Amino acid sequence: MSGEMVAVDYYIPLIMFLIIGALVPIGALAAVKIISPQKSTFRKRSTYEGGLRPIRDAGVQYNVQYYLFAIVFVIFDVEVLFLYPWIYVYASEAIPAVGGVSIAITGMLIFIVVLLIGLLYDIKKEALRWV
Amino acid sequence: MELLSAITDFAAREPKIFAVILGLIGAAVLASVINVAAMAVVWLERKVMGDLQARYGPNRVGGRWGILQLGADAIKLFTKEDIIPRGADKSVYVWAPIVASATTMLVAGAIPFGAVIIDGREIPLVVANMDISALYVEAALSLMAIGAFMAGYSSNNKYSMLGAFRGVARMIAYEVPMGVCVISVAVMAHSLNLVEIVNAQQSIWFAVAQPLGFVIFAICLITDLGRMPFDQTEAEEEIIAGYNTEYSGIRFGLLYFQEYNMMLLGSILLVLLFLGGWNGPVIPVISFISPMIWFFMKLLIVLVALIWIRVSLVRFRIDQVTDLGWKVLLPLSLVNFVWAVAVGLYFA
Repeated sequence: MSGEMVAVDYYIPLIMFLIIGALVPIGALAAVKIISPQKSTFRKRSTYEGGLRPIRDAGVQYNVQYYLFAIVFVIFDVEVLFLYPWIYVYASEAIPAVGGVSIAITGMLIFIVVLLIGLLYDIKKEALRWV
Repeated sequence: MELLSAITDFAAREPKIFAVILGLIGAAVLASVINVAAMAVVWLERKVMGDLQARYGPNRVGGRWGILQLGADAIKLFTKEDIIPRGADKSVYVWAPIVASATTMLVAGAIPFGAVIIDGREIPLVVANMDISALYVEAALSLMAIGAFMAGYSSNNKYSMLGAFRGVARMIAYEVPMGVCVISVAVMAHSLNLVEIVNAQQSIWFAVAQPLGFVIFAICLITDLGRMPFDQTEAEEEIIAGYNTEYSGIRFGLLYFQEYNMMLLGSILLVLLFLGGWNGPVIPVISFISPMIWFFMKLLIVLVALIWIRVSLVRFRIDQVTDLGWKVLLPLSLVNFVWAVAVGLYFA
């Protein structure tokens, strides 16, 4: 295989990083298996809860407010994702200008204002109140 | 120099094989360098904290500077018994530290660790120098929350669960302003590549060009790293040790180390994005490594500042933290974005 280095090739080293990054702790855990003492007892393996016997397990019901947080986050994160490709549009000379200002910039300013209105609405409706 | 040209030759002929070899060597070298450096950071933190709190810090193992203290701690962690709590979701519990460590390495793969000057040319020390490395690093940095959430969720402990919830809520509150700050920097640099962002700061640091963005990014970074005053995921006084309450021995050690690895990588990211990276006047006699010297000086200042902040400030409540992220930092980061576009236009 020969040829130009394409964009995907930059991600091959990262896969190696992922593998080595996982192998290091696995190696450490294997080493511990060999050198550390193993005298496990029933009490030792109980869950810590202030020194008393644990009451029920940790599967708690959480407030619906957490979902609202998640939904608002997804909306805003996707909106921020739209800004990333825009950087390259902004930097290019090919975009026409109206009144001395590039369309890319006016468009983005409108987008930001819409974003801010959405955020104000969320705050007003208490969607972002921690409970 | 012949070696260098031979390497570039080989890279041009066999890009895929070169990428694999580069990845393996880079990962092996960086895995050891980062872990040793993180040990140094832990030592630095304990020593500086000791000084700031008018006490000695580690001073028994390894002379009066306590240099071998971390080695002793590592030996202790390795010889501790490996306990998995009875109620834990075993596979997730075991995988959490491994996932945490792997995400750290994912960040390390795309971050430039300074540069060296060879033949008057600056060569950045980075393994994967792709076009969107700033976006990639930011995304990989927020993967941290997954390891922490796996640890907290699988422990079957109420304190761990609360810590995990808090970690995720905090991450999503600060993810958006952080992303907007990275975009503001990229708008001024006209690129999302970290090396090009550093090169764009030769005349002026972005911390000076957009001070608001610098402050917001620094706050978001401290939050993402889970350090004081934003360490609600492991607030000792409230929820014992948060998401790693049930972890002990080497498994705790891995999670703890991963936090310090991330602290190191996050500080490097701050230096690259806002403090001019390795830019600085060339030091005459040792011009070969003069970028490295500037880079490490800036990195050291950021690390000490992080430790200083940890010692000085008290912990916020979790509702204050999410409020700060959503209601203050997010609008301000958008203001900073408009500022960056305007200033970028003015100087273009």
